[in-house]
Amino acid sequence: MPDFPIPGYHGRVLVADLSAGEVRTEPLAPEAALDYLGGRGLAIRILYDTIDPACDPLGPDNAFVIASSPLVGTAAPTAGRGHMAFKSPLTGVLGTSNSGGTWGAVFKSSGFDALVVKGASPTPVLIDIEAGRAEIRPADGLWGLTTHETNDSLAAVSEPGRPARVLCIGPAGENLVRFAAVANDRDRVYGRSGPGAVWGSKKLKAVRVRGREKTAVADRERFRAGLDQALYLMKQAPATKRLLRDLGTAGLVELINLIAMLPHRNFQDCAHRDEDVERVSGETLAKTLLEKAGSCHLCPIGCQRHTRVAGRGGGEERGEGPEYETIVLMGPLCGIYDLEAITRANYRANELGLDTMSYGGTVACAMELRERGLIGDEAAAGLDLRFGDAAALEALVPLTARREGLGAALAEGAARLAGGFGRPDLAMTVKKLEIPAYDPRASFPQALGYMTSPTGACHLRGGYAVSLAFFGGAREIPRFSLLQSPIAIRNMQNLGILQDSLGVCRFTGYAFSTDPWARMIGGVTGRDFSSARLEEIGNRVAALERLFNLEAGATAADDALPGRFAEVPIVVEGKERRVSREDQERMRRDYYKVRGWDAEGRPTAGLLRALRIGGRRR
Amino acid sequence: MSGPKWRAAEDLFREFQALGRASLLCDIQDSHSGNMAVRRTGDRGQDEIVVTATGSQKGDLEPGQICFLSATETDFGYYKASSETDIHARVLALPGVRASMHAHVKDLVVATLDDAPKPAKPPDFVPVDPLAWRHLGGVIPVDWFAVPSGSPELARTIPERLAAHPLTVIYGHGAVAKGRSLREAFFRLCVGNYAGAVVRAMERLRVDVGAVRREVAADPGRALAAPPAPYAVEGDERSDFREEEEILREFVKAGHRIFESRLSPFHTGSMSVRGVDTMLYAPKASMPRDVGGPLLGLPLAADPADDAESAVHKAIYAASDFQSVMHCHVAEAEAAARFVYPGETAPAGRIVPIDAEGSFFYLVIPVLPPDTPAAELIRALHEYKVAVVRGGGVWAVGTQSLSEALHRPSSLREICLYRIGAVERGLDLRRMEPRQAGRW
Repeated sequence: MPDFPIPGYHGRVLVADLSAGEVRTEPLAPEAALDYLGGRGLAIRILYDTIDPACDPLGPDNAFVIASSPLVGTAAPTAGRGHMAFKSPLTGVLGTSNSGGTWGAVFKSSGFDALVVKGASPTPVLIDIEAGRAEIRPADGLWGLTTHETNDSLAAVSEPGRPARVLCIGPAGENLVRFAAVANDRDRVYGRSGPGAVWGSKKLKAVRVRGREKTAVADRERFRAGLDQALYLMKQAPATKRLLRDLGTAGLVELINLIAMLPHRNFQDCAHRDEDVERVSGETLAKTLLEKAGSCHLCPIGCQRHTRVAGRGGGEERGEGPEYETIVLMGPLCGIYDLEAITRANYRANELGLDTMSYGGTVACAMELRERGLIGDEAAAGLDLRFGDAAALEALVPLTARREGLGAALAEGAARLAGGFGRPDLAMTVKKLEIPAYDPRASFPQALGYMTSPTGACHLRGGYAVSLAFFGGAREIPRFSLLQSPIAIRNMQNLGILQDSLGVCRFTGYAFSTDPWARMIGGVTGRDFSSARLEEIGNRVAALERLFNLEAGATAADDALPGRFAEVPIVVEGKERRVSREDQERMRRDYYKVRGWDAEGRPTAGLLRALRIGGRRR
Repeated sequence: MSGPKWRAAEDLFREFQALGRASLLCDIQDSHSGNMAVRRTGDRGQDEIVVTATGSQKGDLEPGQICFLSATETDFGYYKASSETDIHARVLALPGVRASMHAHVKDLVVATLDDAPKPAKPPDFVPVDPLAWRHLGGVIPVDWFAVPSGSPELARTIPERLAAHPLTVIYGHGAVAKGRSLREAFFRLCVGNYAGAVVRAMERLRVDVGAVRREVAADPGRALAAPPAPYAVEGDERSDFREEEEILREFVKAGHRIFESRLSPFHTGSMSVRGVDTMLYAPKASMPRDVGGPLLGLPLAADPADDAESAVHKAIYAASDFQSVMHCHVAEAEAAARFVYPGETAPAGRIVPIDAEGSFFYLVIPVLPPDTPAAELIRALHEYKVAVVRGGGVWAVGTQSLSEALHRPSSLREICLYRIGAVERGLDLRRMEPRQAGRW
């Protein structure tokens, strides 16, 4: 492989064709690197060039791409994340997921910038990557194992200074649960949109990486300027300095409740008793379950929660989590305020390879169906399954992962579950992805973010407007401004694209925006990555993701919230708030406009030309 | 409040109160100094002067400290009214003048002090900033008086000066401004004080003020950026976006901060937040509490009828994803933009923070020439988010909010204050600036 002309990249893409049982190395196109950076941007570019978005997401024509970034392998804080892109079996549109831990950094050191896996193997396999080489190996002995068992088995080859890191699926992925996750470093996950089911459909159990290749830095002084700035600001901002280390993301529970945004009973309201919320708060978690905080690769924040909890059958269990989203979606959203039960369900979901967010949203939907008499005693099979039933929450995890009993219906996700019982309106999803733990009625930008997120209701792909309201400092924005929401959320989405494409953590956004990253990426590559250029990359990636979805069959009508959010108000600061259909329509129309898309949400030909997106490159 | 007269004049009283408070906040009065007056038609159609009482605390005016006097004859209230009522009465008699105000504009007064033996006519003040040039003219008169307060000399000379100038300086004491409204008179005092602050900051930075004055006087159109729009006395109450309550609050908050933190003199600067087709625009960004300014909803599309200021806002939005734009006149930044490093001949093209927080927020801040085209300004804003236009103020942007844009000139002012302080102490800025700054 000739030397790649841009420092920060190896210039190599590893392509594994599981149908053919072959691996090969392809050159990374320099223009793709410069136009899409890495991570999310590069992954969607490669995916778009690799598959037909109309393909069957669980068929061999689907593929997944994991891309690294030029910052990964440098000293840039938190730069060790990977981004996976695929067509989602849950939503039928673009699925992307992002994960920290250490796998991403080790993958980069294995000598590749991206991994593409396509086709499907007839038998279980794993991909073993090391020092610029890879091979597909049988994994029969691993099939059926939990994520922890698989990880521990494959990571055992680690040596000092040469660790082996593992991505793998659990039984949920093997059983094609539509919201199955891919586990990373045991308890980190590529969670949303069902990547585990895509892996399962390909009979891919794991990807193990080892390596020692360094990432070149072109201009160390320039890089250092951005690095110093970033570290300083992270030490200053309350969220990155203390909150996340002390309380983890669970520290949000009480804060989000304080501003009437904490969802309850499948988003029927946001009304909780304060003492209930306290039972599942970050403070309570820190006092009762937390053993220690932990960090992903090169992260000075340290939000990981290493916890222990009493086992159901006695004894003590140890694991990671729960995070804010898990606590709320498995907890208050289901009317449950039992932190130990939530934690155990979280442990099981991690072991079996389920996305805890979609699982919580789906269980909440099932509970409402049950309370409305649509799920009868027979289907409930001995479970009470009403709001507040913590035992059902725990019991349904393995049933869902193995598609047993009612779990088979839950394994399809909330939208298909509710549709199956004749009440699609009870699924709190956008594009069939379960809504995260922030009620959109309490923030118009967040509502618009869910509506327009390329992956369905995702607070990360759609733009995390919540952070602005509470930790944004100078970037705080109005919560109920129809006028400001489209641009504010477009800019938040673009910042998210940038962070995902640089392989860095979203939490850095609590401390700073693009400027330090612009300096660091400029320093690594030796190229001009001005903020204007990064802004353009954000717009380019957003347009390409939109193109993918349009070709997958999505339309403007899919950019909408469930009817509940338009019809049923919640009370915020003494005022009834909802996101009426007219308000949704206005925000959607304005959002398309600021994106340069037409009235149907299609990027215009002029925009595509200006952004140099071009057609599919095969 | 008591008495029918007060009920009838409640709005006027509130205006006196608000501007009195504002004058204390921007430090152009001591606790009891200054006075202000307006001419109006009274309840019975009489020609009336309303003036603050002598020695009243302008920061906390009481109803009984505002006096209503006949404009044509002495009445009882005269003895309670300001000792400078005679001056005001004569100023208010000038054509088109409805208000006059006297304040201790210390920055301007200090900038006009000299040590020549008196009596002598001190030199008039020549401003070097765009605001004073536009709103006060190229020369501000300065007069020395043997009795520089309430004296017949003052009552004779000040109206003469104000017949030809918007503002005049009483040597070693303060200034008097006329206006079509009390706000305009206050505006002129604030702009005058700003002009003094710019010169003072330049002196502290060892800038050759004489040379800058010569440059500006020789060709103000070249040495200063495009002139700001004339001061408008109408329309301050207009609010086109009342339904956007949260944004309205943000504008009001930002307006207060700009004024109180001396990021721009009263009713100068501008700020905006963009929607999809509309720009919410405050053309008088610096707004004290209880003294608003217009809040306009303007089409985002460029219009040949746009004034120069709003046209820049629109151009920035047309070429970027920014959510907010702010333009302020920070005296310390205006001066820093003229700073010449020892051994060099031209002003520096950048301001390098030497303080910890400033240097982490901004490795450098570009200083652009006065005639910088909008495209070049936008390029700088993309890269640095804040830029100083020499002779043209500070432009800043936010990607998410107005408050994000506000933080930038505020931070810049601190950065400049640290640099000014270092030079005052005889320190070598070059040695204090980060070694790498030359490459940023």
